[in-house]
Parts: sequence; C-alpha cells; structure tokens
Amino acid sequence: MQKGEMYVGWSTKDDVRKRGGSGGLVTSMLAAALDKKLVDAVVVLKKINEFEAVPIITSDINEVLNSAGSLHSVPSHFAKLIANRNLKVALPAKGCDVRGIIEQGKRNAINMENTFIVGLNCGGSMHPVVTREMLEVMYKIKPEDVHGEEIEKGKLIFKTKDGKENAITIDELEEKGYGRRESCRYCTIKIPTNSDIACGNWGVTGDLVGKATFVEINSEKGARLLQNAVDAGYIQVQKPDEKGVAMRTKIKGVMEGLGQKWKDKIFVPMDNRLEYFRKELEHCIDCGACKAVCPTCSCGDVSKCTEYHFRSDAYKMSMYHLVRFLHLGDACIGCGQCSDVCPVDIPLTRLYRRFANPIQLELKYEPGMDTRKPPYFEVKLNE
Amino acid sequence: MSGVAIAKTDGWEPKIVAFCCNWCSYGGADSAGMGRFQQPASARIIRVMCSGRIDPLHVFNAFLEGADAVLVTGCHIGDCHYVSGNDKTKIKYKYLENVVRELGIEKERLQLNWISASEGEKFANFIRDVTAQIKKLGPSPLKPEGVV
Repeated sequence: MQKGEMYVGWSTKDDVRKRGGSGGLVTSMLAAALDKKLVDAVVVLKKINEFEAVPIITSDINEVLNSAGSLHSVPSHFAKLIANRNLKVALPAKGCDVRGIIEQGKRNAINMENTFIVGLNCGGSMHPVVTREMLEVMYKIKPEDVHGEEIEKGKLIFKTKDGKENAITIDELEEKGYGRRESCRYCTIKIPTNSDIACGNWGVTGDLVGKATFVEINSEKGARLLQNAVDAGYIQVQKPDEKGVAMRTKIKGVMEGLGQKWKDKIFVPMDNRLEYFRKELEHCIDCGACKAVCPTCSCGDVSKCTEYHFRSDAYKMSMYHLVRFLHLGDACIGCGQCSDVCPVDIPLTRLYRRFANPIQLELKYEPGMDTRKPPYFEVKLNE
Repeated sequence: MSGVAIAKTDGWEPKIVAFCCNWCSYGGADSAGMGRFQQPASARIIRVMCSGRIDPLHVFNAFLEGADAVLVTGCHIGDCHYVSGNDKTKIKYKYLENVVRELGIEKERLQLNWISASEGEKFANFIRDVTAQIKKLGPSPLKPEGVV
C-alpha cells in the first residue's frame, strides 16, 4: 500500500461492523494498531449519552472496540488532549482536529513522527445544548427518547427508541438558527487531505452503502496503519469502483462550495467595526476559557495575552483579546471551540476569523494544512 | 462610545507616540533638532534598541492609554545594526496593521517609516504630516475618557 491509493474497507468483526459507523473500519484500524504495538495509546470517545461523550486516552483494546463511534453532537477537539504528553498515539480526527494537531506539531508540543492521524470526512458537527433545544422545538421529541442519529442526503435524521425516524432538511434547520455550529457551516475542509489517512462514507456505492468506509492514504504513516490492520486480520479492503471515486469528488466539491457561500454570507464588509467589536466583547468576564481550549495556542499558563492584561487598564478594549486577535492572525483554524465554551456566548470564532481571513488570504497561508512555518516566525517574508 | 466627550477645539494637540530605533530614527530626531527643522511638539519619542524590539503589544498599549497615533520607525531595510531586525519589524507590522485596520481604526493612526540618522528633515516632515492628518481626524476612538 502506498501514498495516494484509495480503498473501500470494513471491519471483519461482525459486532463492530454493525455498531460502528460505516462498517467500523476506523475503530478496527485503531484496535489493530494497538494490538500489534504500532502505537502505545489510542484516543476514543467514551459515550455518556446520545449528546455527550468524553475523549479518553486508552491502551485497552476492548475499550477501543466498544467506543462511541460517530456522534454529530459532540464537538470535541483532540489536539490539546495529546499535546505535551509525548505519546505514541493513533487517533481519529475531523478536519479541524487534524489542523490543530499539525499546528501543535509546528510548536513542538506534539511529535508528528509518533502520531498517526486517522482523518474523518466531516460535514459539520452540532452543539449539544443547541441540539437538545432543536429536538424539542423542531422535531417535537424529547431528547431522552433519541436513540441514534444520521445525516443522509442533506437531511438530519433522529431515531427514537420506539423505532420511528424523524427527518428535517439541514437547510431548514439552519434557517431557524439550529443545525450545525456556525464555524462548521463556513468550513471548507470537508475531506482532511492533511491527515495520514482520510476515511469517510462518501464514495461508497452499491450494496456496501452504510456498511463500508472509503479510505484514501495520504502519507507513509497512513499506509503503515492500514497495512497493519489488514495483516492483523482486523479489516478487509477492496479497490473502489470509478463511480464511487467520482461521487466522492462531487460531494466534496458541493460541500466546499456551500461552505464558501456561508463564508461570503457571514463575513460581509462592515462599517463602524470598532463599535461592533466593543459591543461583542463587552460581556467578557476574563475567564480565559477560549484560550484554554484553543487548539493552536501552545503558550501554556504564562503567556503574553494573560500576563499583560489588567482589567483596570482595559479602558476601551481588553488587551487580552487584542493580543489574541494578533496571535491568531496566522494560527486560527476556525474550529469554533472558543464560541462553544464561552460562558457569556460571545461569537468569538466569528470575531477571530474577521482578523484571520484577510491576513491568511494575503500571505497565502492556511494553518494546519501543511508543515509550512507560520510566517510570523520567519526572519524574512517570502514575497 | 460614539460621541467622544473631548471637545475638538483649535488648541487641541494630538498625542503621537513614536517608537524610534536607537541607531537611526532616534538619531534622526536629534539631527532634526540640530538642523533646526521646525516640527510640532506632538510626538512623544520612545527609544528602543531596534525596531524589531517593538512588540505589537506596545502599540496596543499606547492606543489603549490614549495615543492618537503610533509611529513605528526604524533603519532602512539592509541597514539594520543587528543585521535582520527590521526585516522582523516588517513581518510584525504586517500582522499589527491587519489587526488595527480590521478593528476599524483609521489607517493614518498607525504608520511605518524608515528614517536614517542623517535624515533629520525627513523625520521633522514626517511628524508634521502625521500631526496634520491626525488633527483632521480628531481624537482616537480608543482614547479612554478623561484623557486629553
């Protein structure tokens, strides 16, 4: 197996194949990596209920095989979890997780040689609190009755415990302010080509729909990971048909186009911006949660944004946010974690992206997409 | 605060913070004095050993404390006393400029200029031009209340 090759595969273990999303290939691949000592640990989501799951680092194969699978309403981020731990680890990651991990790698907090990133195609995730509210308002079902969810053909489907399926189109949900998180709507990385191996159900055709995963190998490490799982007998792979490959490219194009459209819609040029930023930041209580979760920040507890920020000196604007606006200029990956955790609901991702969009466009630098050094740290700008 | 309380009287003088490199523009300010080039008394000069030392944080702080304009000055590219200090200034300034512009602060309020130690006239003209521009714009929107 080599870089650039594509496969369709599934788990050989029946219960994993049935329970895991799309044939359980990712789960089995991670378990195989652990079994054959390719890695020392694996990051998986441990399910609490339909809306909540906690990421754990485990070395227990059974825990991996019993993990949550895919959940759309758990916007967790793994980059900070494995940073500064010096682990030999394999982990599943959405596009923004991958970008976060690569950015941490650039800042020497993660050893990329020892990190196997299994990229997952991602059309967007949902905020758990918003999802609960949406279920009651839009679907008219109790959040406790939900037993599984799925996205199919632009519709978000919730299955209840009595076996009923409730479907509403995502466009309709988003018009009403529910659905995907805002940062996911304008995200344009749907297939993580920056990961070691990109997996997803786009491009699976025929009888295999819903029972297999489409895999694209993006690096040597990815090839090793897949080969290891095949050799260990955990998964079975075959070549994809041309129709599937074409379909995958088409879905990717459509999704990215939609993302771009959202981007143009949200980031409209604006007059009197200072007033806008002041108004949005006026409720900030200086808790620092946005920095604590930020997957590209690796300063630690003692950092410029917090050490030089005094509430009593922040006459018109907080120094904390000014420094963050600057530092995230070339680092913001638009993952949306800061908006999620903000206790006073400041749309921080939107603010950060307002500063990051123009400079990233100007410098032609996309953080987390390759190993290029951030331009801020260069001695001389390559123009 | 859209309606700034401070009256825009004729006597109002803008406060300009000018960061000057020890090896060039600080000397430039000196030779402006020695050459008797007239310039308004609006600039407060802060000497740094190299323009590369100017952290964007210093500029933000100047604005938050009530500066109407901040000037970043250093040696001409290629003349840096520390070989590549002003190359780094250029990169930092690009980011700084982006934040300040996006924040909605007028572009005249933050300026970069390369001035050598012998260019006293250039320094005086620069201060004069900036003062005139800022006088037209009025006090900075980031100026805290009660600061003139």
